[in-house]
Amino acid sequence: MKKILIFGLIVLMALATGVYAAKGFPKRDITNVCVWSAGGGTDTCNRIISAEMSKFLGKNINVINKTGGVGGSVGMSFAYKRPADGYTLCGLSESCVTAGVQGGWNNRMDVWDFFIVGGSPDVISVTPNTPYKNLKDLIEAAKKSPKSIKAAASAAGSIHHLNLLAVEDGSGAKFNFIPYTGSAPSQNAAMAGEVSVVVTSLAEQQQLLRGGKLRPLAMLIPDSFKVEGLGTIPSSFDDYPGLSKYLPISQAIGFAVRADAPDDVKAVLTDAFKKAIATDKLKTWAKENYYLLSGKTGKEAKAEFNSLESNFAWTLWDLKAAKVDPAKLGIPKP
Amino acid sequence: MVVLERIGVYFQTVFHLASDPINIAILFGSVMLGIMFGAMPGLTSTLGVALLTALTYGMDTATAMVCLLAIYVGGTYGGSYASILINIPGTAASAATALDGYPLACKGEGGRAIGLTTTSSAIGTIISMLFLVSISPLISFFALQFTSFEFFLLAFFGILISGTLTSPDLVIKGWIAGFLGLFLACVGRDMLQFYPRFTFGISELDSGVEVVPVLIGAFGIPQIIQVLKERFQIGETQKFQRILPEFGTIIRNIPRIVRSALIGVGIGSVPGIGEDIAAWVSYGAAKNTAKHPERFGKGEIKAVLATEVANNACVGGAMIPLLNLGIPGSPPAAMLLGALMLHGVTPGPMITFEHPTFITEVAAILLLASCTMWVVGMLMAKQVVKVLRIPTQIFMPIIGVLCIIGSYALGLNIFNLYLMLPVGIISYFLIEMGYPIAPLVIGVILGPMADENLRRALMVSQGSFLPIFTRPVALILLLTILWTVFSQVPYFKKRKNQLVDKIRRRKPVKIKMDPEEG
Repeated sequence: MKKILIFGLIVLMALATGVYAAKGFPKRDITNVCVWSAGGGTDTCNRIISAEMSKFLGKNINVINKTGGVGGSVGMSFAYKRPADGYTLCGLSESCVTAGVQGGWNNRMDVWDFFIVGGSPDVISVTPNTPYKNLKDLIEAAKKSPKSIKAAASAAGSIHHLNLLAVEDGSGAKFNFIPYTGSAPSQNAAMAGEVSVVVTSLAEQQQLLRGGKLRPLAMLIPDSFKVEGLGTIPSSFDDYPGLSKYLPISQAIGFAVRADAPDDVKAVLTDAFKKAIATDKLKTWAKENYYLLSGKTGKEAKAEFNSLESNFAWTLWDLKAAKVDPAKLGIPKP
Repeated sequence: MVVLERIGVYFQTVFHLASDPINIAILFGSVMLGIMFGAMPGLTSTLGVALLTALTYGMDTATAMVCLLAIYVGGTYGGSYASILINIPGTAASAATALDGYPLACKGEGGRAIGLTTTSSAIGTIISMLFLVSISPLISFFALQFTSFEFFLLAFFGILISGTLTSPDLVIKGWIAGFLGLFLACVGRDMLQFYPRFTFGISELDSGVEVVPVLIGAFGIPQIIQVLKERFQIGETQKFQRILPEFGTIIRNIPRIVRSALIGVGIGSVPGIGEDIAAWVSYGAAKNTAKHPERFGKGEIKAVLATEVANNACVGGAMIPLLNLGIPGSPPAAMLLGALMLHGVTPGPMITFEHPTFITEVAAILLLASCTMWVVGMLMAKQVVKVLRIPTQIFMPIIGVLCIIGSYALGLNIFNLYLMLPVGIISYFLIEMGYPIAPLVIGVILGPMADENLRRALMVSQGSFLPIFTRPVALILLLTILWTVFSQVPYFKKRKNQLVDKIRRRKPVKIKMDPEEG
């Protein structure tokens, strides 16, 4: 009898959550569909900001992961199919702007409104037992026998892949690119020696770098970066000034809500987001994890994503790594 | 000195946590919630940990870990309830438990099975915890020996072994079911080149076939049809039930428990795979070494022991690469990684410098969680069995509704229901024709891993299969697979039996007391 009652209660609870009204947002928990795998940069960042925003919203934001597709297209399509009521957010990163030209997403990115938390710069590293002590060693070796050195990055069209492509273009070296489903598996492969080179963000790699499991060669930004307990990682631009034509391609991690969601809902989200990003918790976290906070929302964030979209899409198209002509999608040239 | 210090910290943490009533309350609450998540078809411990991650944000790190690890441990154990009582595994990890647990329940020994499951789950967790504190750097070194080829072979082996073990008559039927699952796993965009396969232009199929609706459809629907068709009552519960820990049985099975725990820790520590494979491999090992393998599948208590020790030992195993390398060893561990980072703890090789006592603390929490689980399990077992007293006409429709909620709950996707129903009906006919259904589900779970890793491995080796023979771990896996296949071919089977007979005849040992008698 007790069991039936419990079962009955569960059914009732399930029904009750289905009934909601738009007023007084949020009335129930919000779902954040993160398009990259758990434990990666975007995932962690979304978990932090979601948890912090939950405090201001009074309801939980649950982060779930929907990986796969091109540029996170599976997760984005999934989140976009849900009603535009603000109860579904899409945890994404700059890499998602490539979904369109890769043939996984039929819309422009402006169907979303963005909330940008920030990002961490990319670093190129090698397995410690390889002979490459600095970027020059690696590039020269790769030039000598093109396509012989295996390089890992997350799926084709991801920021790390684009950074790798940019390194190839700016230096003239050619690697054998092996795609992985995320940064964590690609770093794992580099540690296991399956590949020699890996490109991921400093935030994702810092533990392994400081622990000696991977050896950093160069930052893929114009400046060098000081890492505590490791020293300064030089900029790749020092040896290869030609890279400045292609780099930096910077991260823009955050989340998005459907642009056609009600304005009052978006206002509530923006308010909570601004408050959350200003908390000490977020600031400390950013510093400890090698992130630079952004905090852009609304038009500002949309402009950044628009420029990222045209930049990424046309870069990919020029690199012949795109399937769909960006002109067909109506993406302007940068 | 370091060891002594560690032991000191360990017990200090245990007592510190256990002396706080709030922690104890959280511990009990989380374990119970975990058991519920595990026992409900469709709700998994992964989902439980994921949902609670955000809730723990306000707590301090230690309390949050208590909460999440308790859910993880409870969820892994709770799956066995549904497996044993209604033959619908609550989680994929407990699918192997259903094989012998359900026949036991039909015989009226459901209470005994649950009691033993509880004890063995607790033992499994505790043994894995010991590995975590003692030799985890060594194990994470071995976990790093796994590259794409090894992942492919391991996934393939998992599918094959579940096919071999579950076939009621012909082994080939199990393999056919496994390959059907592999085929289902191919639906959707492939993970490397994003080419849509078998999607027929349906955008919902782009992300592939979800595991949970297949799990529920394949196990739940045929069971409901079966029970309602034959109008039978599962098990009888009137019989006097002894739900004591049965320490005697445990002690008699110590070698079996240790072996299963080793399998669990080993498989748990390999990144990306978890409880489900561990349970099957452990079941296979138990069956292959048993004196009476023919009893397996008909309600063998040792089988239940083996699978439950192994899947819970995975919990500690999965913590090893998580804490030492920052690589989650299983899907719920991936959720834990997110939770840890949320609390400012970045697991990785530096963790022993930045948070020197953290691994010890996690071990202490695992001990507390498994003890709590044992207490809760022992108290609940007797009550839970009473579920079977509900008349079938009422019970089965409720299970049906729960199946629908379970499929829908994960991702709140209505498409999953359209997927669950046909899978369920096809599964019913497959079962009627004598095909086991577990390999199909395992195929769907492990299929993407096998597919993606095989193709990536060939990309890395530039089309050469040679690394399979030159890499030691890969070679061992390949030989195991070949042995699994060839030992089923009649010619080889005959030879093997002849060989075994010869050896037996040479050494006529008389055993007065059968130590295997459970």
